Amino acid sequence: MRARRRRDELAFALLLVALALLSLWQTLSIPVSPIYARVGPTAFPWIASAGLLVFSLVLLRQALGGGFPGVDRQKTVDWRSLGWVAAGLVANAVLITTLGFVFASVALFACTARGFGSQRPVRDALIGLGVGLAAFLGFARLLGVNIGAGVLEGLL
Amino acid sequence: MMNIRRRTFCVATVAAVASTQALAPRPTRAQQRFESIFMFIPAGPGGGWDSTGRAIEQAARAAGLVGSFQFENVGGAGGMVGLPRFVNQRRGQANALIVGGSVMVGAGITNTSPITIRDVVPIARLTEEAGVVVVPPNSPHRDWASLAAALSTNPGSVPVGGGSAGGTDHIALGLILKALGRNPREASYVAFAGGGPAQAAILGGQVAAGISGYSEFAEQIKAGRMRALATTGAERIPGTDIPTLKELGVNVTATNWRGVFAAPGITPAQRQALIDLITAVHATPQWKEILAQRAWTDAFLAGDAFAAFLHEDIAKTETVLKDLGLA
Amino acid sequence: METLALLAGGFATALSAQNLLFAFAGCFLGTAVGVLPGIGPALTVALLLPITFKVPAASAFILFAGVYYGAMYGGSTTSILLNTPGESATIITALEGFQMAKKGRAGPALATAAIGSFVAGTIATAALTFFAPVVVELALKLGPAEYFSLMVIAFVAVSAVLGSSAVRGFAMLFLGLVLGIVGVDLQTGQPRFTFGLIELLDGIEVTIVAVGLFAVAETLHLAARHRYGEDELLPLSGSLWLTREDFARSWKAWLRGALIGFPFGAIPAGGAELPTFFSYYIERKLARRPEEFGHGAIEGVAGPEAANNASAAGVLMPMLTLGLPTSVTAAIMLSAFQSYGIQPGPLLFQTQSDLVWSMIASLYIGNAMLLVLNLPLIGLWVRVLRIPRPQLYGGILVFATIGAYGVANSVIDLAVMYAVGLVGMLMKRYDFPVAPVVIGMILGPLAEQSFRQAMTISQGDVTTFLTRPISAAFLAIAAALVLAPPVLRAHAASRARARSSP
Repeated sequence: MRARRRRDELAFALLLVALALLSLWQTLSIPVSPIYARVGPTAFPWIASAGLLVFSLVLLRQALGGGFPGVDRQKTVDWRSLGWVAAGLVANAVLITTLGFVFASVALFACTARGFGSQRPVRDALIGLGVGLAAFLGFARLLGVNIGAGVLEGLL
Repeated sequence: MMNIRRRTFCVATVAAVASTQALAPRPTRAQQRFESIFMFIPAGPGGGWDSTGRAIEQAARAAGLVGSFQFENVGGAGGMVGLPRFVNQRRGQANALIVGGSVMVGAGITNTSPITIRDVVPIARLTEEAGVVVVPPNSPHRDWASLAAALSTNPGSVPVGGGSAGGTDHIALGLILKALGRNPREASYVAFAGGGPAQAAILGGQVAAGISGYSEFAEQIKAGRMRALATTGAERIPGTDIPTLKELGVNVTATNWRGVFAAPGITPAQRQALIDLITAVHATPQWKEILAQRAWTDAFLAGDAFAAFLHEDIAKTETVLKDLGLA
Repeated sequence: METLALLAGGFATALSAQNLLFAFAGCFLGTAVGVLPGIGPALTVALLLPITFKVPAASAFILFAGVYYGAMYGGSTTSILLNTPGESATIITALEGFQMAKKGRAGPALATAAIGSFVAGTIATAALTFFAPVVVELALKLGPAEYFSLMVIAFVAVSAVLGSSAVRGFAMLFLGLVLGIVGVDLQTGQPRFTFGLIELLDGIEVTIVAVGLFAVAETLHLAARHRYGEDELLPLSGSLWLTREDFARSWKAWLRGALIGFPFGAIPAGGAELPTFFSYYIERKLARRPEEFGHGAIEGVAGPEAANNASAAGVLMPMLTLGLPTSVTAAIMLSAFQSYGIQPGPLLFQTQSDLVWSMIASLYIGNAMLLVLNLPLIGLWVRVLRIPRPQLYGGILVFATIGAYGVANSVIDLAVMYAVGLVGMLMKRYDFPVAPVVIGMILGPLAEQSFRQAMTISQGDVTTFLTRPISAAFLAIAAALVLAPPVLRAHAASRARARSSP
């Protein structure tokens, strides 16, 4: 169990190291024009990415040597619930540009409710439809905030 | 010349119905030329491009030239977020217009965007605004000659505040330095995000001078909180006695212009129809009224003449930006 | 006395039936959009601009002012109930507010936010009425060097309250700084960290990251722990209203928040967010039970909420006295002035006296209206927490999506929000603090630009930060914040030693 926890934390520390390296790489690719040599556009990116790198390396060492101090609760992951919610998010991002905001909301709502243990997908979908429609009519129609066109939105 | 282009207020399609119908009794109905016009604003609601688009609507509908208008605002990066969307989605659409201007010319060059203002069809230039060079009221520089002397001796010691780097204000300063025989790169240009912070820096004397569109500073100048030394237009701004740079012996004109463009892929006849429409809008009394109310300078130039002007403007902007090291 | 007469005239205009209706509509709309993350007062006022064709100027500005204040109220409601900050100025509210809600104390949290907003809003409006020109002149004395030094204080204060582990806190602060760099550099126009995507040229919206870190991360975290029943919300307990103790702990925080928030509105750098950070820090330092912070301390809601409303009034100060917009919303209101053919500037108080005073009067009215509107609503709002978990979290995610997608119709924004949510979930799992990311992201870019502006003005001379007196004073405060705790500890330790070894 202990080894498993260490592996988790290692992965997170590595993620941060990777982010730091990514931003260092991006810093290198910022073109510097000669006029602003005083404090150019790269100075702060260097500081920020170097700082992130230093602290994420410290975290990496902590993870390698017994884990982050002070984080002692054993936390098992409920993969099934998490999977449903994540699927809802992905479905939403995919559907929002194709079928439109309302249907994307239905998918997101139903999947999330399922992830939190609801056993009535049809009812959830209907509630999702209601929430999506209300939001669309309220914000898109009354206020004119554009939340995207889609199949249903075109008909309304 | 409101420089606030954050995406905080961006996409918003406002149904044409909501925004119009205001001007109650319709005057003499001209012949309706278009049933509907799709107006694309590559900036958020509330800025200069947005108000230009909506002013066209106001004048065209009041005169009965167009049946209805539909607006779409997609803001960001000096129009560079909206422009590709317009070019891709509206190709060949004969009733689609996009508002644009000098800011878009510069943004296309500094961002090295694949799609630029060259990819849309020039219809007409409508308005322009000259820039103005100001100093704080307690500045040692009483007139242009004094500031020019300081700038040509050591440009680095004269911090000048204005809008974002590579924008129209920065370009104007670059042109001035070049005319004074210095390298534009030597400028101590302090870029601020938007008119508010720039004005605050000038009023508080944080910078030695400021440069921006006249309307940004007009009220401060009238109230005596900023001293105007020179304007960057070809002629003096009506109602003011500020000399132009040309009068002062500096051969520079730099204005911030705004105009409309059509979608790529339309036929010459379709292009002509849009040119005729905008020409008719420009001729309405309502348009004159709007110009006066907003203190916009009329700079109407349509069709091929506008295309030629644009070509020249792009070339000029490119050179300055290269000189500044930004392109 | 002349001021009072002018104000009375303003009230006469603002209290007409039509204008009261506009004030109400503004407050209502403002609350509605304040609730939605991403969509704030700036966008709403911009969308309402066409109304300037139709109604008299006074009515339009009364409407806009209502929207502006209302958004600050609405933003705090979702921060507290759903851990979803509606506005960047209400991010700090979520830290303690949501913890209170989790403990069944959503009612008092909402009440202290609403009353605090009213108290601070009214104090700030009064200050605006009488002292605006003085405060603005003082604000103009500050330049980029001073802004930078002010940010340094904020960074130091933030690091001092980072949470359980300094290493994790700093890692998150730097992560926030990196996120803040994305976009076009103001000083040179170079794109940074944009990976060639034009959607990223204007940077990542702070509210999108905040909603990802708070709402999406919370939902994912709870889903990951679903079967193990962790972190369940406790049912509402006790009174919905402030207890005597709550009130005793809140009122000083309200006053301090008002005092901190108001002057910041006049500064064109971090106007709305910066005072909420400072207020949070000060409340935590002054609290009699600082250990409650992070677990639902009512001062941590009262102070920042007062501060953000006071700063909203502060923003109107340079706008009305000088025509200087210090926030995006103010900039859009200025363009509304122009569509009436009014040029906002230093002469506004003279040339448009009636209009300005009726707008100021409407601020008093709007504040009172918002209190009356919001207090009874608390009973209704807290029922949101009675929605069964599956539907509640489904609703939260749909809601977060509307905000993020509605801003720019960009799937990239959504993807950023979800990805940040995933990272946020891991952060929760390993006890990483959230606030430093958001603070780094908001203040990082401001600090960088101010630093470079100051350096350009001083022609590359770093000592400008020390030779300018106000800037030097700010840096001294920052140094004191760093040095004082260890010195005091050492002092206390030596005294303890002295006592134990006679």
